Amino acid sequence: MAHGAAAGHGAHAHGEHDHHPTGWKRWVYSTNHKDIGTMYIVLSMIAALLGGMMSWYIRLELAEPGIQFIEDTQFYNVLVTAHGFLMVFFVVMPAMIGGFGNWFVPLMVGAPDMAFPRMNNISFWLTAAGLVLLVMSAFVGGGPGTGWTVYPPLSSIAYHPDAAVDFGILALHVAGAGSILGAINFIVTILNMRSPGMTMHRMPLFAWSILITAFLLLLALPVLAGALTMLLTDRNFGTHFYDPAGGGDPLLWQHLFWFFGHPEVYIIILPAFGIVSQLVSTFSRKPVFGYLGMAYAMSAIGVVGFIVWAHHMYTTGLGVNARAYFTTATLIIAVPTGIKIFSWLATMWGGSIDFKAPMLYAIGFIFLFVVGGVTGVALANAGIDFALHDTYYVVAHFHYVMAIAAIFAMFGGYYYWIGKISGKQYNECLAKTQFWLFFIGVNVLFFPQHFLGLAGMPRRIPDYPDVYAGWNMVSSFGALLTMLGTFLFYYIVFHTIRSGKPAEANPWGEGATTLEWTVASPAPFHTHEVQPVISAGDHGHGGHGHGAHPRPAE
Amino acid sequence: MLGAQARGINRTKLTAVILFAVVAAMGGLAFASVPLYRMFCQVTGFAGTPRTGAYVGTASAGAGAAGEVTVRFDANVNSQLPWQFQPVERQVVVRPGEEVLIHYRAHNFADKPITGTATFNVTPFKAAQYFNKIECFCFTEQTLKPGEDVSMPVVFYVDPQLFEDPNTAEVRKITLSYTFFPVETQAQQPSAGEKAL
Ligand code: HEM
Ligand SMILES: [Cu+2]
Repeated sequence: MAHGAAAGHGAHAHGEHDHHPTGWKRWVYSTNHKDIGTMYIVLSMIAALLGGMMSWYIRLELAEPGIQFIEDTQFYNVLVTAHGFLMVFFVVMPAMIGGFGNWFVPLMVGAPDMAFPRMNNISFWLTAAGLVLLVMSAFVGGGPGTGWTVYPPLSSIAYHPDAAVDFGILALHVAGAGSILGAINFIVTILNMRSPGMTMHRMPLFAWSILITAFLLLLALPVLAGALTMLLTDRNFGTHFYDPAGGGDPLLWQHLFWFFGHPEVYIIILPAFGIVSQLVSTFSRKPVFGYLGMAYAMSAIGVVGFIVWAHHMYTTGLGVNARAYFTTATLIIAVPTGIKIFSWLATMWGGSIDFKAPMLYAIGFIFLFVVGGVTGVALANAGIDFALHDTYYVVAHFHYVMAIAAIFAMFGGYYYWIGKISGKQYNECLAKTQFWLFFIGVNVLFFPQHFLGLAGMPRRIPDYPDVYAGWNMVSSFGALLTMLGTFLFYYIVFHTIRSGKPAEANPWGEGATTLEWTVASPAPFHTHEVQPVISAGDHGHGGHGHGAHPRPAE
Repeated sequence: MLGAQARGINRTKLTAVILFAVVAAMGGLAFASVPLYRMFCQVTGFAGTPRTGAYVGTASAGAGAAGEVTVRFDANVNSQLPWQFQPVERQVVVRPGEEVLIHYRAHNFADKPITGTATFNVTPFKAAQYFNKIECFCFTEQTLKPGEDVSMPVVFYVDPQLFEDPNTAEVRKITLSYTFFPVETQAQQPSAGEKAL
């Protein structure tokens, strides 16, 4: 019945004779999922440079004890805050969800575009407006020096009397609204617009990961919006939600923030799981081991992620029973997480692995994620966390498990898909060099921070006692390597677009079985206008590619 | 086929409407968390919120066996409030279930009447659920005339359950702490803190 739509799939080539707007109108008014995806990627790359420069400046200051460069400590706090916000909300989320999500979810599930193309445009421009507001906030008064957690009373009017924090709140509101609209768009698209035969249980894991991420966004972001609104009215209209003087409680903020914040870390890492699953399957030339287990492990992580938030608050005076509960619940997350790790390894096991740059990044991701997961399990124990909370150990944990791991998945995704996006293939030798530079860089940068944290060095300070000097210097040297690796990546993107070889429709061979490889490279402006029909023999999620390939729409 | 397509579009719209409703509900939940949180703290004594209300048990039942607790009194004044505020007795030894009356004293240095309100908590936090206040100056706002000196009573008892709960059985010292804050009035002058910053 639904196959009726496919009746007309004759030989007419859509992409070529397509009328689409040109010049600036093509981008500003864009309703095309690929153009919007590209804009998200560009936005993310700009924000990454800003956020990156801030972190390198921070590491420059921290290379030696004493104050070298950043005399104004409020400015140091502003750097730390802006770095965190930029990376979380304007680098990782736009690249993985807005960028790769927009580009490849419709392609993978066989939909012609997103369900609400105009809303898609609004989502992007709200995100862009959020970025502008956030950058502006740094120039208002002393800037917001609250950290990305914005805890009152530090974020209250008494300690941040100018409008900087208000600007920051506005930036998050606007970007959050954009993300919520985007999430609704993804869910509607994935639930209602899959091609005939593309059942939920045949959907590629990347599409699954975006679906689950979208649900997390939907449930978590409104809570952040509510909490931020209360902070805004506390600051400007004399309410006392977080102010004990009026019967409020600053801990309420922490509960609300982390009720959003812990799911947020999964919002960042689930799309990375999705990308890595595609990469591992493609370059091992095998379907993902335990496909359904992988999909439901992600769902389980999403659900459990909502009931562990107070593991960020062990030291706030939680009762012993609450600590016992949150410790247990947090440790339980390690179970579905382990399922994912072992399934990736099992996928590689016995596969004919092709160590192209995307695969190196996928393996790098697994390594980093395991290291960060292990420190997470340590921190999950309230007793241990009393010693390690707010030290560099936590900084090392979350950079391994979330920040750098996500960046690795993004780099893998970039190399994997750049041919499909730009029509040009990257240079393998340059890319592998970039991988090794970056991989060594981040480990030299973050591994010593475990030692600093165990030795008691607190986070978010510009100066430290001399005993911490050695590992800080090492860490800053790692930051230098990381910086070079980052710049090399930008050069590779430039080089690929300028003088890369034309990319084939499928440069990866039989391992790449998802639908985006059935359309030309670069992907035409319109794809899947005639729905591809997937039969039971095809494994859209990365099965052996020999099955009858779904008909390309072009 | 057209019908199927129309149905597809309706389904799409319906999904979107449901999702928007979810967003609204979660946003509402964030605000609902304020009263929920307060209720939760009062019911469970979470984060050191002492119980309030009249004693329902029988005074000093089984108290002799359970022993005694020392209740210490702490007083703080927000820097914006030109008051002196301190307990009359530093500490009292009470028997569980016994109703105890103690006093704080407050003095207004300023040359105008000032209204203040006190927040309170009990440490260790886990003992808060067994610390009951029957009457307290902190239940209402307090206005002091210029130079006025007042006595502020508190009536409380410690629930004998304190000794039965294995989690709190070893507690022998409880601190009751108050912090007085100025109550903001309509004609609000810029506070010293803001001027300083
Ligand atoms: C094996 C699973 C994990 C466990 C048991 C775990 C546990 C914890 C704990 C207990 C803390 C609080 C430490 C403290 O502040 O004292 C923490 C912090 C953090 N975790 Fe994890 N974690 C896990 C996985 C993850 C993942 C997957 C991510 C992100 C993708 C993540 C991101 C973070 C971040 C960003 C922070 C610090 C937030 C801040 O204070 O600014 N964690 N983790
Ligand atoms: Cu968490």
